[in-house]
Amino acid sequence: MNHPDECLQCGTCVTVCPVEMVGGHAIVTFLADPDATDYSVWLCTSCWRCQEACPGGVSIYELMMEQRRREEAPAGYRAAFESVLACGLALQVPQEELDQMRAAWGLEPTRLPPPGLARALLCAEDGDRW
Amino acid sequence: MPEYEVATRAVLRALGIELEIVQQATCCGSPVVESFTADWVYLAAYNLALVEQMGHSTIVTVCGGCTNTLTRAARVLQDPDLRAEVNHRLESLGLSVTGRVEVRHLVRLLAEREEKVRARIVHPLSLRVALTNPCQVFRPGDIMGFDDPMEPQSLRRLVELTGAEVVEYGGEDECCGATLYLASPDLALAAGRRKLEAVQEADLLLHGCGNCQLLLRRFQRMIVRDERNLRKPALLLPQLVGLAMGLPEGELGLREGTWR
Repeated sequence: MNHPDECLQCGTCVTVCPVEMVGGHAIVTFLADPDATDYSVWLCTSCWRCQEACPGGVSIYELMMEQRRREEAPAGYRAAFESVLACGLALQVPQEELDQMRAAWGLEPTRLPPPGLARALLCAEDGDRW
Repeated sequence: MPEYEVATRAVLRALGIELEIVQQATCCGSPVVESFTADWVYLAAYNLALVEQMGHSTIVTVCGGCTNTLTRAARVLQDPDLRAEVNHRLESLGLSVTGRVEVRHLVRLLAEREEKVRARIVHPLSLRVALTNPCQVFRPGDIMGFDDPMEPQSLRRLVELTGAEVVEYGGEDECCGATLYLASPDLALAAGRRKLEAVQEADLLLHGCGNCQLLLRRFQRMIVRDERNLRKPALLLPQLVGLAMGLPEGELGLREGTWR
């Protein structure tokens, strides 16, 4: 990942990052220190605090997402994405089970999206890297 | 999380708003789909197109991720070239999208009706509440266009309307851990633990997003284990508001007498 020219390396992003607060190192670690290697763009929580606070106006979220698309994903992300492609939902719930869960709270049944719809919309072919 | 929908419907019904479910909606994609493909907007646009097909001008969301993704999708769909490409792909489904649908998170919907909510409060709550702001509802500020993006106040004001006292614990804008769970369960539970340790003075946790509720309620036992003093009840915003409106627990997705 190229370090963005607009980044002032001021470290503001690190101070507002909720991941850094719990001891994780997300993209902000790299922005504050381009030589850092102990960070992962997959730890970002998409809370947008770093970008909102950035005095240099760096599009940190977009940088982070672009880098993710170049890297192997952690198992949790991979599984959720495969599930979206297969059934349209990040966590697969069979229609019958969903209806039962809803009925237990007096909610009407809902129709799930047709299988394969998300795969077609995203133009994902079998064997695509993603 | 059907109880979230139950409570949302009950509270909005009391305010004269009936919700209609978006049939065949998919996952909005946040933040998963965008992490794999720049085409994430096609999936978000599909969901917006379903709303337009229903003839509605507003979609109500109860999750920060959906709110953020759908709002940003509606924004980028204002580009006529992208919109044409998206509509080309939606055509085979008999759908089309303008991107003019308003995306309203429940916090915003209620905050914009503060006086109406206030008028319905008949049973002020004597509870001490520790809230977590749903992170994706307020940022990026120039696109979400609601509240202070770094120090949002609307959720706090809504909780105060119920009569409950908001306990300041310093972690209101810290991570619940839910999204972290996809990449690092250990860090996710550490984030949840940090909150539980910080909110000891509060009677309960209060959330405006299903992801926060998932990690801090459903996964709470993975954090607490045998440290029972860390345990804390967790409610969703419409459950708290509904209780203050005097709605029965059973109509708010709460098992009677067991949520405290």
